[in-house]
Amino acid sequence: MGATSSWKERLAGQMSAELADEIDTFETQIHLRKQGKMEEKLFAETRLRRGVYGQRYDNGQRYDGTQTQQLLFPEHQTKGPDTVWHAPGMMRIKIPFGGLTAEQMEVLADVAEEYSEEILHVTTRQDFQIHFIHLEDTPDLMRRLASVGITTREACGNSVRNVTACPLSGVCRTETFDVTPYAQALMRFLLGHPDCQDFGRKFKIAFSGCQHEACGLTNMHDLGGIAVVKTIDGEEKRGFKLYVGGGLGAVPHQAQLFDEFVPAEELLPIAQAIARVFARLGEKKNRNRARIKFLVAKLGIEEFRRLVLEERAILPEDPSWTAFLDDLHATDEQPLKPGQALNGATASEGFTEWHRTNVYAQRQEGYAVATVVLPLGDITSSQLRTLADISRRYVRETVRTTVEQNLVLRWVSETDLPHLYDELVSLGLAESGAGTIADVTACPGTDTCKLGIASSRGLAAELRNRLSEENGQLNDAIEALRIKISGCFNSCGQHHAADIGFYGNSRKINGITVPHFQVVLGGQWRENAGSFGLATGAVPSKNIPEVVTRLAQHFVAERTDEETFKDFITRIGKREVKSMLEDLTQVPSHEENSWYYQDWGDTREFTMDDLGKGECAGEVVSITTMEIAAAEREVFEAQVAFDEGQLETAWQGALNAMLRSARALVKEQFYDVPETPEVVVAEFRARFYDSELFSPKFANYLFAAHQNPPSELTKVQVHRFIEEAQLFIEGAYTCYDKIAVPAGATA
Amino acid sequence: MESLQRINVKFYLEDPESLSAQEAFRVFNSWIPTTPDEVLIDVADYSHLDEGPLTLLVGHEANYSLDNHSAELGLLYSRKQPADGDLTERLASAFKAALTACRRLEEEPSLAGKVKFRSGDVFLVANDRLNATNDEASENTLRAALDPVLAQLFAGTEYAVERDPAPELRLNLRIRCQTNADTATLLDNLAA
Repeated sequence: MGATSSWKERLAGQMSAELADEIDTFETQIHLRKQGKMEEKLFAETRLRRGVYGQRYDNGQRYDGTQTQQLLFPEHQTKGPDTVWHAPGMMRIKIPFGGLTAEQMEVLADVAEEYSEEILHVTTRQDFQIHFIHLEDTPDLMRRLASVGITTREACGNSVRNVTACPLSGVCRTETFDVTPYAQALMRFLLGHPDCQDFGRKFKIAFSGCQHEACGLTNMHDLGGIAVVKTIDGEEKRGFKLYVGGGLGAVPHQAQLFDEFVPAEELLPIAQAIARVFARLGEKKNRNRARIKFLVAKLGIEEFRRLVLEERAILPEDPSWTAFLDDLHATDEQPLKPGQALNGATASEGFTEWHRTNVYAQRQEGYAVATVVLPLGDITSSQLRTLADISRRYVRETVRTTVEQNLVLRWVSETDLPHLYDELVSLGLAESGAGTIADVTACPGTDTCKLGIASSRGLAAELRNRLSEENGQLNDAIEALRIKISGCFNSCGQHHAADIGFYGNSRKINGITVPHFQVVLGGQWRENAGSFGLATGAVPSKNIPEVVTRLAQHFVAERTDEETFKDFITRIGKREVKSMLEDLTQVPSHEENSWYYQDWGDTREFTMDDLGKGECAGEVVSITTMEIAAAEREVFEAQVAFDEGQLETAWQGALNAMLRSARALVKEQFYDVPETPEVVVAEFRARFYDSELFSPKFANYLFAAHQNPPSELTKVQVHRFIEEAQLFIEGAYTCYDKIAVPAGATA
Repeated sequence: MESLQRINVKFYLEDPESLSAQEAFRVFNSWIPTTPDEVLIDVADYSHLDEGPLTLLVGHEANYSLDNHSAELGLLYSRKQPADGDLTERLASAFKAALTACRRLEEEPSLAGKVKFRSGDVFLVANDRLNATNDEASENTLRAALDPVLAQLFAGTEYAVERDPAPELRLNLRIRCQTNADTATLLDNLAA
């Protein structure tokens, strides 16, 4: 029987104080919102920045095949615009560079069992997602993850998302050097960094060890670093070829080269300077043009670079910029067993094919990386737990997620591969075909995403079934192609970078909506997503498998020598492709064949009525508003402490709340204002009290408390002071309303 | 243990071939607009996986799934929201809800009577590692609340209870009873 009453109590001391505080804060915010004491949009952005995301039907409506039904949840409180409190949502869990330990895998398995439906989903950015989570379970879920070093902080919202990296980093045969410690350092540095709290949209970072492989897909990221070594004064120096302003979405942009060589010691400050420029000049009003790619395109890369370097020059020195360089081997991995060659050891049926497609020989002799193919990126709790056990017995817990929604086990002694294969067979995870045409990638689409138009996972499942049957018999050129599917134009399935990509849309046929997919051909996965494909026309969902068959047949029949699919598509041209697929664009009438009017994996008639408002863009809430709201929460906590008789804590909490909101206002004019109370009070006095922008009566509450703190606290005194702090915060909101520049007017 | 709310109850199919994931998907979808006493939200298809919930009916109060954990196909009821009553009453309520869903599948016209559940074989999971650790002490506490429910459910017929003690698992009990009663009779027993 459990001896403790809460996870908070049981896990006390098992996570950093900062993370524990962060989760406690979120729990308080949930209570505040539930009591109507926190504004809806502010709460939405707050939870998004903790990885707590909305899910399809969370507006309380669902189409049942004939009409839209209301889902009658017990309360009508909301957790964001059009988002019902009790509607289950998704939790995105950041896995920096995809690195996992066995213990982390076990806790992930546990929380998926207890709070979700025993399924974990690996995303196209090396995260995990678990679905159908209730908001009130999220603080405990976060605590359990935090206890093993996992955070969900800034997994969603307008923030720096998961920092991804090539899953072969450190063992790759062609990499310049292992990018893992740099990815980790940048992730840690930017997590919760004040300069990253005022973005208009999300910001994604990726690292690659090689220029020419797919690796980290740096060309489609907001910030991408490719490992390079440069000889300076006869000494080899590590650094990064840095790209900025890439991105997919509805309007894909190839990243632009920011610098051929940014020395390793400049990586963090340059990233910080880029964050500052993005926060200051990025679009905030028009969400469709708020990613950094639009800012880079608008300014031009030269001007953008100039502004960043100018910002870099005035950044206050920070020791953490280079501290990690002293410990670059902290992320190094060690093998569990001696590396030994396979040497024709006998193996079970299926092993040869699995070995051909799923095993990569490391640069370290006698070792291999084994890819565990996860169908549609999914794995059950019990599979993940067993895999954790396997990772302890075969390797030293060296596991990573991949952007192709799989897992890899690194440092497998080659001689162990047949036994490992047998264990994966028992586990139902020994599917071959990793990285082949059958290993289809898909975003969640209409299964769970509010923005999904067509069923990307339904289509992916259908294609996987068909293509898997042909595994091992496909022409080499076909086998090497990649298929990627998004449920809408927002590109979470990364369809632009695939040889054959699809994104969901719809067409009306005689007044009835039919699910379609736009066919996007000729994207390049290698060269870090070296080029993006072109849309060639929309085809009804149910004809997409035939599109794949036809494209494959034409490619095999008409390919010249070693021509790539991209080159083939370019050579034959869009017109020929269109004509090749023309008959497949036709849709029979509903009376003739109603099958076309249902999506893959669904039994309902297709509808667009379930489409909701996406939360990918987050809510535009200024950093000042966020800070004043945080101060308000501190007053609330001071009140709780007061109720519990903790007068000293309550008084200090109320004072801290005043200082926090005062500093938030000062930051509007003096961005780098230190946190020292003396400086904050002096700057606040000069900028807001003397100028009469702030209510003098309320300002004096702060001045009095700061200058003459009481030597002995009484209940009456503290009670009054908490009320004063609340009034001070009201004054801060009023003052901010006077001085705030409207969103979007800063660019 | 008394505060345990997340209770899973699974009844196994007599014939695993009698209900496919696709059939369950269609039937579960039809339940969403026709189940007035609880909020059912959506159906998820995980039939591409070999085990776990192959087809999942997501609800607010509880989930229902065609579950293939340990390669044994059955109907799994997973209570999520707090229920009324003491632990014994909540356990009885979970058994009742699971059996009601089983009965509904057995009587589903489109499945033509081919679905039958083994009424004397039940898997119970206390889905809460904080309040119910998988050890003997917790088992005894749970049994004290559960035995009256099982006595009523099986109308006095003897039953055997077995726990898989693996520490990584949630507190779990496999309950086996040599009963000839069908699911309707078990429901009647619970109501008596």
